Amino acid sequence: MTAPAVSSPALEEVLARARELIGQWRDEDCGTPTVKDFCRYAAALNDGEYIRRARALEADGRPVEAPDLFLAATMSWEDGPPEDELRPDGLAQRESPCTEGLAVRQVHGGQSVRLVRPPVAGTRITATRAVVSARHKHGRSGEFVLLGVRTRFLSPDGSELTSVDETIVVLDATGGDR
Amino acid sequence: MTAPAAGTECPPRRYAHTSVQLFRFSAVSWNAHRIHYDAAFAASEGFPDTVVQSTLHGETLSRNALEWAGPGARLESVAWRNVATAVAGEQLTWAATVSSVEGARVRLDARILKADGSECVTGTVEVTLAG
Repeated sequence: MTAPAVSSPALEEVLARARELIGQWRDEDCGTPTVKDFCRYAAALNDGEYIRRARALEADGRPVEAPDLFLAATMSWEDGPPEDELRPDGLAQRESPCTEGLAVRQVHGGQSVRLVRPPVAGTRITATRAVVSARHKHGRSGEFVLLGVRTRFLSPDGSELTSVDETIVVLDATGGDR
Repeated sequence: MTAPAAGTECPPRRYAHTSVQLFRFSAVSWNAHRIHYDAAFAASEGFPDTVVQSTLHGETLSRNALEWAGPGARLESVAWRNVATAVAGEQLTWAATVSSVEGARVRLDARILKADGSECVTGTVEVTLAG
């Protein structure tokens, strides 16, 4: 059976750009997270117990491990552009791959996170990230593109800390698809 | 806890995310997508209020699983698919069923349900129980 053709020029362009990018890994420096970074993340989750435990470990001079999904949940480790360089929906180019200048909107389809080793405060973390798939689909809400993005977070010795596969759903913003 | 049997239903947990939590989670996760903190913009995209972040759903799936698994349990993996949108203030329910047990490693089929019982998020969580 033949797959339905892409009727949205914007989505066709997203697909074309994504296919060019597939397999092109890009490295990011995530910096050196601190106990404060971890605690602020926990605070946003109303996890006062984590904060008390982390600060007690810090006071004892013991290593402080990040909350489980700290790396996976952070949208971007780049400094980020000034506001006038964001898309109208608030996303930066890095967070909205293959969509620059196009009348599209995006939502998150989901994630798969594998935890290998927790990052520890004061240890530098790097990430390597790539678009790994791009698929055109038709659903109840109309047509859309599913972009698969993989990010691997690494410790200074190159060993993996966390691996994240995320699905970004890109929809045409002009056709009223919901 | 002692290892549960496959098929065990976890006690459901009801909760809601406030708009303040959505804002703080966006800030701390460096997520400037306006649907999460700008209700007027969210409305322009067809949402009734600010939208719960995908990764906040992931946190809810895994944190409730860890609480159920008891002290010392460790998260191994979590995967989820967003089926429907949830918004600030919406009553949600975490529900899960044990799908497999291998030694201390327990896999849950977990769901976040809307007030009418329909699925908002579906996923799996793997935890290792404390020895």
